[in-house]
Amino acid sequence: MLNKIKQLVIYFFLSIWLLITGYPLVFLVQNSFKIRMEFFRNPVWSLPESFTLQNYIDVMESGFYIYFINSIIVCFISVSIIIIVSALASYAIARIDFKFNKLVYILFLAGMMIPIHSTLIPIYKITLSMGLYDKLSSLIGPYVAFSLPISVFILTGFINDIPYELEEAAIIDGASRFKIFKAIILPLIKPAIATVAIYNLTLLWNQFAYALVLTSSPSKRILTLGLFEFQGQHGINIPLTLTALFLSVLPLILLYVFLQEHIIKGMTAGALKG
Amino acid sequence: MNKKDLLNNKYFIAALFLLPAVIFSLVYLIIPIPLSAYYSFFKWDGIGAMEFLGFDNWSKLLSDPIFWSSMANNFKLIAISLVVQIPIALFLAVLLTRKIKGASFFKTIYFVPMLLSSIAVAFLWRYMYDPTFGLINGVLNLVGLEQLTRSWLGDPDIAFYSVAAPVQWRFIPLYMIIFMAGISNIPKQLYEAAEIDGANNLQTFFFVTLPMLRSTVINASVLIIVGSLKYFAMIFALTGGGPNHASELMATYLYSKSFTEMNMGYGSTISVALFLVALIVSFLFLNLSKKDVRN
Amino acid sequence: MNKGLILSLTLLMVFSLFSFTVMAQDEVTLTLWDIRTAADQATPAVKDAIDRFEADNPNIKIEHVPTQNDNYKTKLRTAMSADNAPDIFMSWGSASLERYVNAEKVSSLESYMTEDWRSNFMPAAMNLGIVDEEVYGVPVTNVSPALVWYRTDLFEEYGLEVPETYEDLKNVAETFIDNGISPFALANKDKWPGSMYFMYLVDRIGGPEALQKAISREGAFNDEAFVEAGRKIQELVEMGAFPDGVNGLDENASQSRTLLYTDRAAMYLMGSWAYSGIKNEAPDMVEQFSFFNFPAIESGEGDPSNLVGTPGDNYYSVSTKTKNKEAAVEFLKYLTDVQMGEKLIEIGNIPPFTGVGDKINDPIMKKIYNSSQKANYIQLWYDQTLPLELAQVHLNTTQALFGMEMTPEEAANQMEAAAQEYYGE
Repeated sequence: MLNKIKQLVIYFFLSIWLLITGYPLVFLVQNSFKIRMEFFRNPVWSLPESFTLQNYIDVMESGFYIYFINSIIVCFISVSIIIIVSALASYAIARIDFKFNKLVYILFLAGMMIPIHSTLIPIYKITLSMGLYDKLSSLIGPYVAFSLPISVFILTGFINDIPYELEEAAIIDGASRFKIFKAIILPLIKPAIATVAIYNLTLLWNQFAYALVLTSSPSKRILTLGLFEFQGQHGINIPLTLTALFLSVLPLILLYVFLQEHIIKGMTAGALKG
Repeated sequence: MNKKDLLNNKYFIAALFLLPAVIFSLVYLIIPIPLSAYYSFFKWDGIGAMEFLGFDNWSKLLSDPIFWSSMANNFKLIAISLVVQIPIALFLAVLLTRKIKGASFFKTIYFVPMLLSSIAVAFLWRYMYDPTFGLINGVLNLVGLEQLTRSWLGDPDIAFYSVAAPVQWRFIPLYMIIFMAGISNIPKQLYEAAEIDGANNLQTFFFVTLPMLRSTVINASVLIIVGSLKYFAMIFALTGGGPNHASELMATYLYSKSFTEMNMGYGSTISVALFLVALIVSFLFLNLSKKDVRN
Repeated sequence: MNKGLILSLTLLMVFSLFSFTVMAQDEVTLTLWDIRTAADQATPAVKDAIDRFEADNPNIKIEHVPTQNDNYKTKLRTAMSADNAPDIFMSWGSASLERYVNAEKVSSLESYMTEDWRSNFMPAAMNLGIVDEEVYGVPVTNVSPALVWYRTDLFEEYGLEVPETYEDLKNVAETFIDNGISPFALANKDKWPGSMYFMYLVDRIGGPEALQKAISREGAFNDEAFVEAGRKIQELVEMGAFPDGVNGLDENASQSRTLLYTDRAAMYLMGSWAYSGIKNEAPDMVEQFSFFNFPAIESGEGDPSNLVGTPGDNYYSVSTKTKNKEAAVEFLKYLTDVQMGEKLIEIGNIPPFTGVGDKINDPIMKKIYNSSQKANYIQLWYDQTLPLELAQVHLNTTQALFGMEMTPEEAANQMEAAAQEYYGE
């Protein structure tokens, strides 16, 4: 009986949060079926008069999917690079006892504090001189660099918590650092890597400052920029914009549902702590 | 030194491991701050000539009431975010790591706010906050609480809190996932031992879960602190820092000075100040929580 | 992520990059930056001009890069800063163009100004594209004064006449307030909508000289006209003439017009583009809208026929960075020819070209056109007339007035202090 009550209480809290989290999504979807005028005339949270799919058609026709693919390419490549680069760096900081070790760590931490807009113009000039202007690849450098400090912070902390004994045996056996890194450390930090991946993926997916200044032609546009298409100087089609927002989030939700299994597996394969 | 010695030299190895990170950082990260510091000594609109000002921008900054009030807002955001996000994320994480039906469903929906861009979230919440047509005032009117209705974004006294709310809403799922990962790393034996000792849920939480999550919570706190100090996107989209600087943050102020007013020199000054503030606060926090760099 | 996936993604990206950089040999590409996104009104006209130009010049391609308004400014400024301007770019004339001209980023069009081409433009519009007596930008999009749009049916319902004086306007406002309707629809988060009230009040009280003298430093920004304008605004605010939370409402998100469409507001001081906005957003209510000029202030020195607005709206210029100046200038001609004018009229704009009066059929647009022609002076928006630093102070202080956070004296004094700092006297 007590168990039943406990369950009910749990579901109660979960449902409240579900409402808080989920209602805006419902709002998004229900208004995507309205036409422009309806949105203004009826209360914002009323049900659509008729379920028109016109908005969906309009969004698809606007070349929306190009932006989507661009975002996917840039984000996934960036996150992959971030994982590799930050794992390597974190291992060095956490495990290799060299003289400037602490300084390097502090420098990386300092990197977390840099506000993005102060880097816009310098990065713009550098990108220009590298000949990467208006190419999707121009985004990868800033994206990786900007995410490194936090990733290094997370991974270094995690590696520090791994007991040294696991590597001692391998070192005595004469294994190279790189081998230790690959064979012992990497599998053990999977949960932290998953954290780093998710954190950076969600932040980079929504980034638009760099894309705004480093890319120009519509074919290089990423999703967050593309959403501005539906806003003009003196007018906006709100249901259309909401539809675009919904369509931009839907594949991610599906991806997340699909990957959840793997993510959970990755996260629960934790290090054994004594 | 022969090849084998080189390969075994720890400096060389460390350098190799660090090389990729250093290259990226050098090019894209390390240059902007000294450059901003340089610009802060000039009057410059970004496109024309630069005029040397000495420390003028800096003395202006120190006596600039808007800068100080925006910094105060950043600190308010830190406080709110720490107090709201961590407990709620912990609570949800604990609930969801139990064996209940539909956990996956909840987890998926809960994560949606993180998948929306800040602009999208700002867009949605703008309509929720609309004083005449919005959801919030609408619901308040419906349940007879008209006196609580407000112009959420237009009233300078509450505008800041109105924009702080969607920020919490958006980031809680992230920390919830991070905590869930942390919780699932706690060895089952500890829970079993607690059960044998007769501990109830609350006691288990405080004496098993929380201590084991210590470093995770500290990590999350650092992320929240740094994020709150640098925060830009949603505030800018919702209020632009207004009305009349009521919801201004250091980063939105930086942006409006550098790009809207084309006062790159002063904007750079704010940049450097932001950087220094973040640095100091983070190190203070890390020292206070006694987080060791090495084992 | 497994290695294979990373590899294929990288290959995919490299391939797409490669295919985008391969270009035809003899082709010339002109980059065109403006704000003509899908949702912008004038976009079909500009796209049409591009199509016609490309058809007549098969070896020239125009790469059109539209960006949403606020982002556009950041994008353009960053590019200018790094000396990477596009071939053709857009501005709003006057101060915004001047800044780039002074930094030597804009090509002079003076040598291309034949008698024919020059006389194509309305003089008031042309003026804003002239810096140091040379033409640097041509006006293209819209003659757009700010007018008081109003719901004719609501006026009828409450037995109200179009106000001729400011006192009449206040009485009209009272009637609406008494009946639970907000007299004005205003969304002032972005500060410029509220500024329109301020600008008109200054003009009606002190005439165009008030601002001119303040800028030339013969007068000051805390002269009586400015302070009085601030007082009148706060008088209106205290009366309840503006919607609740006005400084938090977003004009771009139509939070003002929504009030207008749902009978919660009766009047709307806004540029003439509002007409197209209404046609797009509430086509079945268009008949219920008309406009009147901002009323006169009897004790004031301003001419009631004067307008606040822009005689040209968007100006297109050629940067100094272009390698194809001739082609770029040629395109500007397509942006300002007869067909462009007709297309703009179709959309609901009034092109800043001479001789378009007869082609306008829509009665409201004809009325707008006539008002513009009758005006002795069209005051450009302050945030385009004043240098950026001062423009921001103006916008900030005016927003503070609406929020009752500054007294009219404080606002005017702050403005004057900023002016003294900027002008050095």
